[in-house]
This record gives sequence, C-alpha cells and structure tokens, in this order.
Amino acid sequence: MDINLNRRDFLLTVAAATLGIAAAPAILSPAAYAAGDFPDKPMQVLIPTGEGGGVDQAARAFDRIWSKYLGANFEYSYFPGASGQVGYEVFISKREPNAYNILFGNIGPEMIMYATQKVNYKYPEDFVYIGSMDVDDSVIWVSADSKFKTIQDLVEEGKKRQITLSTSRLPHPSTIGVLALAEATGMKVRMIPYGGGGPARSAAITGEVDGCATFLSTSLGLGDQVRFLTVFNNKNIAPSLTNNAPPVNQVFGTKIPPMSGQRAIAIHSKAAKAHPDRVKKLTETMKQVFSDPDYKEVAEKAGTPWEFIQYGDAAACDESAREYIALADRYRSLLTATK
Amino acid sequence: MHLSLSILADQFLLNFSYLWLIIIATTIGIIIGAMPGFGAANTIILLLPFTLAVPVDVALIFMVSLFVASHMGGGITSILLNIPGNGGAAATCLDGYPMARKGMGQQALVLSFVSSTVGGMVTACLSIFLLPYISRLAYYMHSVEMVVILLFGITLIASVASDNMLKGLIAGFLGLLIGAIGADHIYSTPRATFGFIELYDGVPLIAVLIGVFAISEALTMMESASVLSDKGRELMKQAGWAETWEGVQMAFARTWHMIWTSLVGLVIGIIPGAGASIAAFVAYQQSRLFSKTPEKYGTGIPEGVIAPEAANNGCSSGDLIPLLVIGVPGGTTAAVMLIVLTYHGVQLGPRLFIQNPGMGYGVFITMMIAYAVMLFTTLPLTRYVSRLVLIPTTVLAPIIIAFTLVGAFAPRGYMFDLWLTLGFGVIGYLCRRTGYNVVAVLIGVILGPMLEANVMRALRISGDDPLVFFSSPVGNGLWLALAFSLMIPSIAKWRRNRAALAAS
Repeated sequence: MDINLNRRDFLLTVAAATLGIAAAPAILSPAAYAAGDFPDKPMQVLIPTGEGGGVDQAARAFDRIWSKYLGANFEYSYFPGASGQVGYEVFISKREPNAYNILFGNIGPEMIMYATQKVNYKYPEDFVYIGSMDVDDSVIWVSADSKFKTIQDLVEEGKKRQITLSTSRLPHPSTIGVLALAEATGMKVRMIPYGGGGPARSAAITGEVDGCATFLSTSLGLGDQVRFLTVFNNKNIAPSLTNNAPPVNQVFGTKIPPMSGQRAIAIHSKAAKAHPDRVKKLTETMKQVFSDPDYKEVAEKAGTPWEFIQYGDAAACDESAREYIALADRYRSLLTATK
Repeated sequence: MHLSLSILADQFLLNFSYLWLIIIATTIGIIIGAMPGFGAANTIILLLPFTLAVPVDVALIFMVSLFVASHMGGGITSILLNIPGNGGAAATCLDGYPMARKGMGQQALVLSFVSSTVGGMVTACLSIFLLPYISRLAYYMHSVEMVVILLFGITLIASVASDNMLKGLIAGFLGLLIGAIGADHIYSTPRATFGFIELYDGVPLIAVLIGVFAISEALTMMESASVLSDKGRELMKQAGWAETWEGVQMAFARTWHMIWTSLVGLVIGIIPGAGASIAAFVAYQQSRLFSKTPEKYGTGIPEGVIAPEAANNGCSSGDLIPLLVIGVPGGTTAAVMLIVLTYHGVQLGPRLFIQNPGMGYGVFITMMIAYAVMLFTTLPLTRYVSRLVLIPTTVLAPIIIAFTLVGAFAPRGYMFDLWLTLGFGVIGYLCRRTGYNVVAVLIGVILGPMLEANVMRALRISGDDPLVFFSSPVGNGLWLALAFSLMIPSIAKWRRNRAALAAS
C-alpha cells in the first residue's frame, strides 16, 4: 500500500491525534451532563497529598463508581506539603465554594495537622466533611527478618534503648498511638518522619529503623516482607491479612482509643449553606456507591480490603474530627517543636 | 527470582508486538521531557483513563517507554538553549550549551542521545541479570550514606565556580538558602514563607529551573543577534550528516566513560527518593574529578555531556528497582505507575518475580527496546533539531519566555508560580551579568533540601548524636572517597608543579 501524506494532511493528522489525546479522559469516562441539573460540569477533586498515594488511589476507586450515580466526571489536582496543610489552604482560599469543588482527604492525620500547625482556616467554619468511605486502622509492623516477633518484644527492647519507628509525617494517628503506647508501657520511642508513605515503608524494610507505624491498607501490598505486631483498634478487622496481629489494648490492658484513618470528602461550609440541594445530591449518591457490587472490585484493586470499607455520615465524620483535635492537643508537645 | 532465557525471549516478542506503542510513548516522552514543567509523572496522571482501560502489559510498556524517554528528552533544550527540561538535565547545560554555541550543537545532541541510550541499555541489562544483588543496595544506603552522596554533588559548586571561587560559593549559598524555604522536614514548621501558602512545600524547583535558566537566558539572548558565535554560525550552516556521524564517533570513543557514569546513575537511582538530579550532578563531578583535563569542563567538551546524560538515564533503571523488588516507589513517576499496576491487580515486591517474572523482567526489556527505538528515531533528526539555534534571538527569546511560563504554571496552576519564575528570572539575569554562577545556585536549590532532610533524619534516628555520620562502614567508605576526591585536584596540581620544576 502506498501512503502519501502531503503537508496539509500531515498537520491535520497531528492535530487530530493531539485532540484525541486531550479528549481521552472525556471519551473514556461514563458521565453525560444534563443541562441545568447539578452537576452540569466535572467535579474538581483536590487531594492534599501527592499523586499515587493511598488517598489518591482510594479517591479514584470511589469516584469511578460515584460518577455513575452522580452523573459527573472527576478532575484531580494535587497539593501536597506541610502534612496536608497546603492542600487545605488552597481549597479554602482559592477554590470557589460551589459544591463542585470537593476535597478528598483523610480525617485523622489532617485534623491532627489542623490542631498542631498554624493554619489560616477554621473547622467547621470553613469546611465540613460530608461523608467517609473507610476505616483504616493504624498498625506497627517490622521487617520480616526483624528480631521482634511480637509487640511485647518491641516494647521490652524499648525499655532498654530507644526504638525508632518510621512514619510518613508526625501529625498522624499512628504517631499518637505509638506515643500513647510508650506512655503506658515505659517504652522509649522516637518517631522518624520521612515525608511520605513510600520512603517510610522503605526505611523499615531496609532496616534503617526498627519498624514502621502507619495505616494498615498502605502496607498490605508488601506481603511477606513485613510482620505486623499490633493494631490500634479494639478488634483486628483483617486478621488474615496481618498475621493475626493482636489489638494493642488486648496485649497491654491499655485504653488507647482507636487510631484510624478515615478517607473522607469535604466541602466548603459556605457551599453547604448556600447549596443544600447539591450537598443532598452528593451525600445520597455517595451512599449508593457502597451497595454497588462493582465498588468492591474497584476498591480492592486500589488496595483497600473490603473489610475496611465503611460509610460514615457527616455527623460521624464531625465526631471523629473533634476526637482527633482533642488527641492532638494532648500530645502537642511531642508532635511539634514546642517544649 | 526466576529468570530464564525463555522468559526474556517471550518479553522481547511481546515488546516487539507493541513496537507501535513504544514509538508513540517515546515520542510523547521526548517532547514532554524537553519542556520544563512537564514530566513523566503528570503526563501519566493525565493519561490514567487510557492506562487503566488497556491491558496491564500495554499500560506498563507505555508508561516505562514514556518514563525513559522523558529522561532522554530533557537534554535537548539544555544543549541548544541552556534550558534544562528537568532537574536531571541541568548538569547537561554545563558543557552541552557551550558546545552548541561553538556550532557543535548537532554533535552535542548526538552525544546526548548515544550516551543516554548506552547508559539506559547497560543499566537495564545489568538490572536483568544482577537484580537480586543490586536491589540489596537499598539495604545499605540510608540517610547517613545519602548525606555523603549529596555532599559529592554539593562539592560541584566549588568546581563550577573555579574561575571565581568567592562568587561561586556565594551563589551556591544563595541556592542553599532558597532551598531551605518552606516547612521543615520534621515538624512542618514554616520557614521564610512570609505567609505564602504556595511556599509551604518549598520553592518549586520548576520555578527556579525556568527562572534562573530559561528566563535569564532569554533576557541574555536579547543582547545579541544570535545564540551562536560568528564561527559557530558558519559551522552550523555547513553541518550535515557528517556531523551526526562525528558525534557517534565521539561518543563511542568514550564508551567506558558512558558505562561508568551510567553505573553511578544506577546506584543513586536505587536509593529511594534520590533521583536523576543528584545522579547527573554527582556523575559530572566525578567525571571532572578523574579527568586529565578538568579545567576544560564547562567549556564545551564531550565528557561533560556524556556524564550527566548517561547517569540520568542509568538512574531510570535504578528508579524502578525499589518499586519492582520491594513494592515501594522510589519517586513520583514510580508512585503513579504503582496506581496503575495496583489497579490491574499486579502484586509488586518479591512475589512479582516468583508469580510473574515475565512482567518484572519485562520492564527492563521494554527499557532496552525503547532506548533502541529512540536512538533510531532521534539520530536522523539531530541535523534538523540542532538548527533551532539559527533562529534569530529576537524571535527565539519571546518564544522561550512564552513556552516556559506555561511550563511554570502547568504543574500547580498558581499565578504565584509565574511571578516567582519571573523573579528568579531577574535573579538569574543579574547573576549572569555580575559573574555569579547560575548552576551553583541551582545545585544549592536542588540538593540543599535533600541534604537537610537526610541530616535531620539521621540525627533524629541516632538520638541527636553527630557521630552517627561516621557509624556505618558504607558511610565511612563514602567519606574516605569524598575526602580523596577533594584532595585529587591539589595532588594533581602538586605533581604538575613538581614535573615542571624537574623539567626546568
């Protein structure tokens, strides 16, 4: 076959290919907009952490199904930095409060950040959570070849010397869990922030630190490279995935509250007041996702076991947010540079 | 890790069946790599609907090809316009641009493409056959070792500023100060942000890169009619296929140089969070150190192009090793790849090489084929692409400013970043006019925050004991190498003086 492109044809082909690539997200996505109805344009999702992180994966998985019920596509932007503060600041000060702009975050770490850092916004005056989609417990794990076989081993060693545990960032529920455990048992521990989950996990696997304190879901992909020692909740909801690691209170008789992450959706408080109908649609369609059989498959593909998936309404999110603010206040001196 | 010839053969056949895809992905990769502000990570994010919709083999081949091509593309604008497409290509400006100014832009581009290809292929090949061993490097490279490696890079400030040490050190210090802006690495306490939330996460590297290099270069261009010297202009006008061949010969005359600098890149790439910028600067510094003519570096010599280009492409292989072997991404692009692979149900980590060794090793096969494809597609184009420098500066400078400002805005979508870029442009221009080395500023900005993070982390792990920096055998070995490398110039000078005395 003889192909003979002249300059005009070539330029048209290039233009068509460029348009094709640019339009790929729209072509491949399911939503079609009804004029006048909310939403009649794509939802803008702001993620206060980096691309490829746990929140990003969970958000994309959830939104894939949510778009069916909401009738909208989702466009993402990432504003990591200062433990999530950058993302929240951008959301509050630079995004229009119209319910099209939503923030997909993680209540635990981000409310601890809110309580311990000097931020330019207020909860719940500036933003509210309208619903959460999972409960991800904090855990302590060590490398599979570590000498620590149980959490008791780690605590005993911590009475003789200072234990080091990696974490993505200091303002994190797992940090508070570890500090509470240290306070209760006399273990000496130092949390080492790595600025991201990946480097924190890598440091524990490669032996730079004794272990890692983080959320469970982000470590499940590590398989038999790690040994889970304990879970910061009253019940281990995924024993088969965590070598049956015991709940911390069960081992030490402590009363440490559950230290979990809850991935949740926030909107501007102004939007909630000005557009109650839109918020109603968002929450109602959000609930529908949990009964969709496709969501189980998509969530598990994104690395969240189905056992973790759990809907929480606005009231439950608010209660959780306030609990973390109180916990952060209690451990402020250890989470910040203040003495 | 199960490796057999049949696995490799299968992967070769699979990749060849997707050759059309590799060509598309490498073309996109080279284009975005050459554009400051656009990178593999945000391009793959943009194309997620595609990579999630296609079979996992297709997605992986596409992403890996695009990733390696972005490293290769970064050097094009470094050489022709003194504007690095990304941090990994910044060191290429040091000798690539002087070569272009002398009318040897075509040879410099060929050197860049060939050394990128050799670097990428050698390290991908090594990764296939030595994966169980080289992946263990991550177990010996922690914060302490990173501190010393970063110091290797930072000593380059003294090297690039050798013609005026005081001004060079001031420029480097300015870079370190700029790099210290933003939230601290332990407690997230903001420093020198002046209340701007845009600076909480530090000064964006792209703004510095575009401002200090691109904008200031465009402003400097406006002072003369052409990028080229008169002699260079004549040479460029006469350039033909012979210059492409000359570039190939130049590169292969330095085969060993390409190989060992790519190994520097591979080793640094394996360390999670290190990356191509450090690899390129350290390789350039080492290349200069062991050269018989270190004084020629910065004047436009082939070794100065080969070292950073081979290293930042060698780093591509290293970057993916932590992702594949332990399931932890080593950088942003690897993190985005993790999303796609997880969505497709691929279990990364040691099990990957037991359950699906074809996919694990296939990544490196894809790399090798992508590099081969790129070499064949880019080499014939060097003759035409290098003529970019013949465009009058009155046309070129405004185009550069317009394009790069788009690049400055694209990653975060802040108007603030545009103003910041223009501010750094003015700083860069003043630096050039007053003899302060802009590369020294950039080294400080890139390596400073990493150095601080690793120093703080090492101290925190040790309970604030400064002796931690001398507590590991690997770290101590690196300290010795650093001390030795700092003494080499003085020893060489002393020997030359002694030889001169003996001769007289």
